[in-house]
Amino acid sequence: MSLAADLETVLSSGIRLTAPLAFAACGEYLAERGGALNVSVEAMMLGAAFGSIAVADVTGSAATGLLSGVLIGALIGIVHGLLTYRVHVNTFVAGLVLNALVLGLTSYLVTIGELGSHHVAQLSVPGLRDLPVLGGPLFVERWPVYLLVLIVPLTWWLVERSRWGLELRAAGEDPAAADMTGIRVNLCRGQALVWCGALAGLGGAYLAVGEVGSFNQNMTAGRGYLVIAAVIFGGWRLGRTLAGCALFGLADASRLALPALGFTVNSQLLVSAPYLLALVAMLLFTTRHRRPGALAQPFRRHAPDPG
Amino acid sequence: MTRLEGGLRGSAGVAYALQNRAVAGVSALAVVAALALSGMLIAVTGGSPGAALRALVQGSLGDATAVSMTLLYAAPLLLVAVGACVSARAGAFNIGQEGQVLIGALAGAAAGLRLAVPGPLLVVVVLLAAGLAAGAWASLSSLMHELRGVDIAVSTLLMTFLAQQIVAYAVTTPWLLQESRLGAAAALPQSNKVPAGGLLGSFGDYPGLQVNAGLLVGLTAAVLMAVALRHTRWGFRLTMTGLNPAAARHAGVPVGRMGGMALAVSGALAGVAGAVLLTSPLSTNRLQPGGSLGLGWDGLLVALIARNRPLLTIPVAALFAMLRSGGGFLAATGVPSYLVDVVKALLTLAFVAPALLRRAA
Amino acid sequence: MAPEPALRLRGITRRYGPVVACDAVDLTVSRGEIHGLLGENGAGKSTLMRILLGLETRDAGTVERDGRPVTVTGPREAAALGIGMVHQHFSLVDPLTVWENVILGDRGPVRRAAAVASVREVSARYGLAIDPTARVSALSAGERQRVELLKCLRRDPAVLVMDEPTSVLTGAESAELFAVLRRMVAAEDRAVVLISHKLPEIMAATDRVTVLRAGRVVFRSPTAATTPAELAREMVGREVSLGAAVGVLSSASAPASSLPAPSSAAPSPPVSSPVACSLAAALAPASHSIAGDGPALRVSELTAPTLDGLRLEVRPGEIVGLYGAEGNGQRMLGDILSGLTVPDAGTVEVAGAVVDLRRSGALHDAGLGMVPEDRHHAGVVLDMSVADNLVMTALSEVSTRVVVNRRRLRARARRLADEYGITAASLDAPLRTLSGGNQQRVVLARELSARPRVLVAAQPSRGLDIGAVEDMYTRLRRCAEDGIAVLIISTELAEVLALTSRIAVIAGGRIAGETATADATAEHLGLLIGGLRS
Repeated sequence: MSLAADLETVLSSGIRLTAPLAFAACGEYLAERGGALNVSVEAMMLGAAFGSIAVADVTGSAATGLLSGVLIGALIGIVHGLLTYRVHVNTFVAGLVLNALVLGLTSYLVTIGELGSHHVAQLSVPGLRDLPVLGGPLFVERWPVYLLVLIVPLTWWLVERSRWGLELRAAGEDPAAADMTGIRVNLCRGQALVWCGALAGLGGAYLAVGEVGSFNQNMTAGRGYLVIAAVIFGGWRLGRTLAGCALFGLADASRLALPALGFTVNSQLLVSAPYLLALVAMLLFTTRHRRPGALAQPFRRHAPDPG
Repeated sequence: MTRLEGGLRGSAGVAYALQNRAVAGVSALAVVAALALSGMLIAVTGGSPGAALRALVQGSLGDATAVSMTLLYAAPLLLVAVGACVSARAGAFNIGQEGQVLIGALAGAAAGLRLAVPGPLLVVVVLLAAGLAAGAWASLSSLMHELRGVDIAVSTLLMTFLAQQIVAYAVTTPWLLQESRLGAAAALPQSNKVPAGGLLGSFGDYPGLQVNAGLLVGLTAAVLMAVALRHTRWGFRLTMTGLNPAAARHAGVPVGRMGGMALAVSGALAGVAGAVLLTSPLSTNRLQPGGSLGLGWDGLLVALIARNRPLLTIPVAALFAMLRSGGGFLAATGVPSYLVDVVKALLTLAFVAPALLRRAA
Repeated sequence: MAPEPALRLRGITRRYGPVVACDAVDLTVSRGEIHGLLGENGAGKSTLMRILLGLETRDAGTVERDGRPVTVTGPREAAALGIGMVHQHFSLVDPLTVWENVILGDRGPVRRAAAVASVREVSARYGLAIDPTARVSALSAGERQRVELLKCLRRDPAVLVMDEPTSVLTGAESAELFAVLRRMVAAEDRAVVLISHKLPEIMAATDRVTVLRAGRVVFRSPTAATTPAELAREMVGREVSLGAAVGVLSSASAPASSLPAPSSAAPSPPVSSPVACSLAAALAPASHSIAGDGPALRVSELTAPTLDGLRLEVRPGEIVGLYGAEGNGQRMLGDILSGLTVPDAGTVEVAGAVVDLRRSGALHDAGLGMVPEDRHHAGVVLDMSVADNLVMTALSEVSTRVVVNRRRLRARARRLADEYGITAASLDAPLRTLSGGNQQRVVLARELSARPRVLVAAQPSRGLDIGAVEDMYTRLRRCAEDGIAVLIISTELAEVLALTSRIAVIAGGRIAGETATADATAEHLGLLIGGLRS
């Protein structure tokens, strides 16, 4: 086998492994800019993966399944939002419990029902697909991958350019000041969680109806945590977060592909690299990252001293 | 004025008691709701809730073997949960127990396999090594917190995934802990068996009923920690640190060191749980990548339900252990054993919400 | 000219439990005027303005804009009604740019170019130079103030509220600010409410002035028709209303003291004037300060973010008041003396020995007791029991090296609760269930139980009802009688006059002046904190 063909294989599988992370990372990035660190990305992705296959089973349409995945993710976002901003449960607790619940529920349901195999259509870009090395990996994909082209700029625009994003950033950096200015901090964060859920849902659903074509127990296997690591690694900047996703995706692809191609790799090191990199990034690049000032801190308005 | 105020205080005291009772009521309701939801899930998916409940009870308490199994599961759950209580009470939110369990098991296996310690003393060394290693592992999080203000919940969580890979690496690397096989048979990703001297035996000799020494370790930890938190200066200061660090500092408590110590203790207890798993009949007494059986996550849930009170973890851990051991018997009724995971999560949700409602009040 | 005033508040009332923050306040502000709102901290100014902005609900009263009753539910709604506020703190988001901060709270799409242009335009119109694309975190205090003002002015408010706008500004910056305000009011017919405690700026910048005291309007006048002296007097009160009550209480509770009073002058006679009251208070400690050989507390050259080489001494048996308007470094001093913050430079000596401020608990061990300003923050643990809170700094006295003796802990707590008249349903109930007065007594009892040489009490009566205040004062006086050096950090002159024998005025993180309480007049002190020397 030629080196080019090897590279193409790794690249192609790297992109497929990156896509679900990238969708979810867009959502988590946005939520964290608003101060909402939600560990429940895993639940959103897994729930959506299951939902998409289940709905595709019922309707016979993989695209409908994909859409349902988005909705399920958003629903989990709403639940997380209610738990943290209404009932004031610690956000980590809410996230971990939701993860446990969705893992249990999907595992239970997939054991009961016989779920079929569903794939959304493949889309290849004429002309470009014939490019050497890059053509195959980049331009022959299941169609939802191309949604990234829309979603990444949209996420950037929402956070950096929209009115809502401005308010969201204010809520993430200094909730008390935002409140003084008339921004409803917790509502804003709740909305961010819904958006995060929808995108994480898209990522999870893509994994199921786009890549694998079926659902198996715990199929996201910790990808949600990987997404959180990517946002941290990216220093709360969208570009670097996505670069992190690509890096993690490629690492995963190398781990799977390289041994088959005759290389020896330390698979444990590759699997743990994302978490290690995230921790190192937090330790080393504290001045260059853009960690929101009030990340994971709940906000409640305090009455001042009478006076 | 004093009398008037006394009256007011009296009513506040009553209100407090009422509130406590209300919380208990809400919690009871929530449990009923959680169980009802689980039952509905079974019914909707074509199973029989009654049969499932019977299977759960049968499988966890039905006979001496079942009870033995339940008690076996209870031990590591208790240890993890008691540890989670300690760190949460000190205000250091440790959610990386799953990884700490694995690191404990790893260190325990290494000690058991590498150290030439005679007979029954070995098991003590194994448990100690596990506790020390996992305590040190958890302390890395406090170090990162001290150095760069890295959130403890985030770092303990991320380090869980590192721990999983470290264990996987250790058991796939011949010069580390991978099993040694004679002949050509491919070695599996697991360690050698811990020698008999390093294993936790049963104590007592009841016909058919095995009560593993691990349970004794767990119960001792729970009781000792309850006593320590309530009756020692250390516990008093730790509680103060968790509830109001500023006031604790004012009262002369070295707040940073207190939190770090609580996190280390929490990790150490999770590590001992890992060693108990490794050396009790729950496992094949070999270190394996999935060897924690998810008990680290479960133990955290136990502590959440027990509201960080070590003594309350005993019944909750027993309940979770029953769900574990009973879960294996569910399949016969046509209900997937994953049901118990749903039940556990719903129960936690049911308990967490009202507990925090009171905080908010 | 519209006959209706731009803003009219009628009968605004707001209660926090037993404390009335605003008591039927009426305020009328016309277009084209700068209206000064004067009062001590705690007089109700901030609450009134938070109600106006919709950040706080009111129990009674109406708000009228141009004669029409309006309901304000939040800052955005206020802005829509033409009411804008320049906050003293907390309303800029540091990591955002100037223009982003300025348009925060608007509606509609974000247009960077338009926003930047509008910031430039407004800043040119008012002569408030600022780079719209700079990050707020990189700005100086004066520049931040400009951004706050721009943010408000860009929305073209008919009524502009400015809350202590010069508290962080230099003299030149303040002068510039008022020049802008005057131009704006004259040229654009706006109404401005200027909240301040600085008399020169009220005198120089306002057309009319309203003085609030204890939640009520006590004085109204055209500025030209009044004097700084009169305003100072009105702000702190002609008579100290607590005087009479204090006298009654101290004579009633004197026999309860377990230690013999070393001075016969201890119980203050019932008095109603601050001077008489403070004279009585001054007489008792005098005998002690002669007996003591050196200061029990000496703070030297204390430098920290809001402290500028603060120097202060308190002798045994003396009550010294550290008086000043809020935000002049008192909070930082309190944090340092609570062991929560380590100063950049300077030392704290207790009984002649320098305390190592980096070690937690060092101040306590050296014999300094602290009743902090925000007791919920550093004074108590609300979720621990009353008994635990009473004993938490003296754990070693009820325990062996390892074990806490619960019986001894309870016995000690019981004794303290009885001695200090703490009423609790049970000593095992969480401290949260106690009234403010009882919580404050818990802190005092605990700090005094360590037999300190020095007691620092910051805003000791804040948030307490009148009865609890009297009780607190009696106990603080008794401390001095017992030979403890007492430092009262307070923003309320009535409190300082009623308690102390010597008053040090803090302004800008250093001592602006010191005087014996007996020689002090409300006017003189009001002028000192107001930045005027008499």
